[in-house]
Amino acid sequence: MMRKITIKNRGNITYDVDHRKPLLDSLKANGVDLPYGCKYGGCITCAAKLINGRVNQTAQVALNNRQLNNGYVILCVARPLTDCTFEIGVESHDLLYRNPFTDPLEDHELKADIATPLENRK
Amino acid sequence: MDSVCCGPGYASPTDAMMAPSEKILYTIAIYTGTGIQKPDYLCTIDSDPESSSYSSVISRLEMPGIGDELHHMGWNACSSCHGDIEKERKYLIVPGVRSSNLHIIDCGTDPRKPSLFKVIEGSEIKAKTNLSAPHTIHCLGSDIIISMLGDAVGNAPGGYLHLNESFEIVGRWENSMGDIKFSYDFWYQPRHNIMVSSEWAAPNTFMPGFDLEEVGHLKYGRELHFWDLEKKIPIQSMYLGEDGLVPLEVRFHHDPDSTHGFVGAALSANIIHWWKDSAGEWKWEKIIDVENEPHPEWPIPVPGVISVILLSMDDKYLYFCNWLHGDIRQYDISDPHNAKLTGQVWMGGLLNKAPEVNGVKVTGGPQMIQLSLDGKRLFVTTSLFSTWDNQFYPEIRTNGGCMLMVNCDTENGGMEIDPNFIVDFGKEPNGPSRCHETRYPGGDCTSDIWL
Repeated sequence: MMRKITIKNRGNITYDVDHRKPLLDSLKANGVDLPYGCKYGGCITCAAKLINGRVNQTAQVALNNRQLNNGYVILCVARPLTDCTFEIGVESHDLLYRNPFTDPLEDHELKADIATPLENRK
Repeated sequence: MDSVCCGPGYASPTDAMMAPSEKILYTIAIYTGTGIQKPDYLCTIDSDPESSSYSSVISRLEMPGIGDELHHMGWNACSSCHGDIEKERKYLIVPGVRSSNLHIIDCGTDPRKPSLFKVIEGSEIKAKTNLSAPHTIHCLGSDIIISMLGDAVGNAPGGYLHLNESFEIVGRWENSMGDIKFSYDFWYQPRHNIMVSSEWAAPNTFMPGFDLEEVGHLKYGRELHFWDLEKKIPIQSMYLGEDGLVPLEVRFHHDPDSTHGFVGAALSANIIHWWKDSAGEWKWEKIIDVENEPHPEWPIPVPGVISVILLSMDDKYLYFCNWLHGDIRQYDISDPHNAKLTGQVWMGGLLNKAPEVNGVKVTGGPQMIQLSLDGKRLFVTTSLFSTWDNQFYPEIRTNGGCMLMVNCDTENGGMEIDPNFIVDFGKEPNGPSRCHETRYPGGDCTSDIWL
């Protein structure tokens, strides 16, 4: 099945991609110049911001829950479940990096394996 | 000094100190994480004060792909092969910590313009050894050993990749990782049949950036490991606790008979000293404790974050950087139990002590250092790791990193930033890049080990 992917910060250009393939591979095959590193979902280099739509990125281990809540997606392992709109590249990384001392994470914002779910608190 | 009788390097640390001064330096520079879609590259820098291109990049060798994150590197041969006339210190092994690609770079054919000799693909390393994220490289005789910080999908503890002298994968070097939780740096002292390794974190933990909370969840290291070098198995671990949070760079004395060594605990901002006592037991103690410093915008005082340590070739001085504070310190460790502060300089950092040096705004703090064999010239770069740079020094994206030189007084102690040396990586042809580790073609204070 094909999904329509819109890149908001590239003049809303659209691509039709195979829903079974990782978005990094699909977009690169279409000539989109994207940063990437490890290609297994662990290093965050290829993170993009999802503006609309849904993806399956259960294989990613780079993002903490705050980054996920801010819409970040690890393109090298994420596959589109619906049509999606993204901002890509480091221009989309405004909320990705934070000073860990001045802006600490709440317990529920940690990575999934160590986070305390919100409903379990108190 | 090399003579026709011998292989690479020097017969002893004392001989190494009498070698000619370094005329060129090799430093990696990265675009990974900067938003510039170009390969990371190896820079050759002119460090000959008599040269017209002194203090500038004289050649750039781009890697074949993007996104490697070049980081640390090492030589194919060092003084451990000094007795072997067949050996030559010719190839730099330059890994990509994110891609796991190993770039073998020929620096011997034209030292001023290195060329790519071979690439060992990360995919091949993962398939054959289930390892990824290469970090420290040491040669030992014909063998090349590389600490790998994760398995093929970035989980700890990783292990050690063994290459032969033809740069073919032999397999895993270690026979067991024992109960070791994490990998990072290592150094060995063959006369005592000992190797020491330290702990950063799993690649999947440190690569995306630093979440302070993960330290409390034991996602970062706090142990030091002692290995039987011949048996290739860990034999003793030292739990450093709160004094040793995130122990990174490990350095034995250069003197091959010594059992003394040191590690910098990055987050605790301590220097830990180890040695073998008269009863044959390995001991450790904290010898330096860098106080956290108040910051007007921080809710808690700023830790130094000791990102690197280094020993002079005569084992007299220990140098380290506080990457967040912005200072480099020199301690006299003639008595390794009692370190005495003898020098300190400031560049960049978060405490605003020296925002500009030699006319260039320093973004980041002093990070990797490399010392000349005679101990007098310390070259410093400012970038730590792309994602961590982006967290603590986000302006580095537009300003790039820089390299400075510090003149060190080896007689009385003391340090001074050289006013005539600055390489501004903010002005690179393809845009601002970030410089990290440095090596000298004739050897330096982190490359050579004596058998």
